[in-house]
Amino acid sequence: MAAVYRTHMSIIGDILTTTRDEIPDETGASVTYLIRKANVSHARISKILETLVQQGLLEQTNSDRACKYKISPRGREFLQAYRGFREFAENFGLRI
Amino acid sequence: MEFVFEIILNLIGFVVGLAIGILSRIGFKNTGSPTLFRLTIAFLSISIGFGAVGAGYMIESLVIRSGEIESWVQTLGIGIQTIGYFFIAFSHSIKSFFPKSRYFRSIIVPLFVIPGNSIEHIIRSISFILLIYGTIETIMSYMESKKSGTIFVASGLGLLALGEFLGWYSVLFPESVLYFISISTKIVGLGALFVPISRVPLMGMKHGGSL
Repeated sequence: MAAVYRTHMSIIGDILTTTRDEIPDETGASVTYLIRKANVSHARISKILETLVQQGLLEQTNSDRACKYKISPRGREFLQAYRGFREFAENFGLRI
Repeated sequence: MEFVFEIILNLIGFVVGLAIGILSRIGFKNTGSPTLFRLTIAFLSISIGFGAVGAGYMIESLVIRSGEIESWVQTLGIGIQTIGYFFIAFSHSIKSFFPKSRYFRSIIVPLFVIPGNSIEHIIRSISFILLIYGTIETIMSYMESKKSGTIFVASGLGLLALGEFLGWYSVLFPESVLYFISISTKIVGLGALFVPISRVPLMGMKHGGSL
């Protein structure tokens, strides 16, 4: 089976989905957990997480001296819009 | 009467293209996706192309009244539409052949790929090839995703291709009904493109940052 290339946007979608639906506890998801779930390298996910926090889509929490991430209300809105537009593009046989 | 029919058909094309273009633009603004950026250019070009031909007919019937639309107006409108078809086809080619990098491939690469012709039938034949390519790629995407919306889009692109072919053929028979059939087919094609889009739940997001 051919490998499916994931766009930058779809990786962001996966990270936000994980922080919304699959966080292990109320404090949020750790970087290690997100790396495993979103299947992205540490270097790449660090940059993406920084951007998402800056944009207000993720909230950073400190728990047991480790950074954890939770989706923000704005992130939820973004994720909903992202899914709508992903479907829009998929109707054209394209990926966003 | 003939002009009224052409004006209506071209204006429908203008409105449908504009609606899809605006939705794509909203999507691009909210997500920053290069794919949605290309779809914005594609459908706004298609809309402007139909609008230019429709406006040409309107000006001709209301102001000039010579009984025949200027051929350069028709060529200009079809040329602008071709740019739109090119961007649809190009988005597919990027997905298939250039799976990496971002904005460079959105805008810069097409400038080196698209040939600059102004003769109507050559433009139509280019449109036809681009649309056939887009149709085939969309059908292949449907085979993977099995999403019903995708088959509507494939049908729409296929009908646009058929419309372009008939339009090109009507150059050989200028007084026949082929042109009407061509533009009607293209309008039905645009309608088919709009069907799945109208069902997508798109909400007005306020996120404007660059991701």
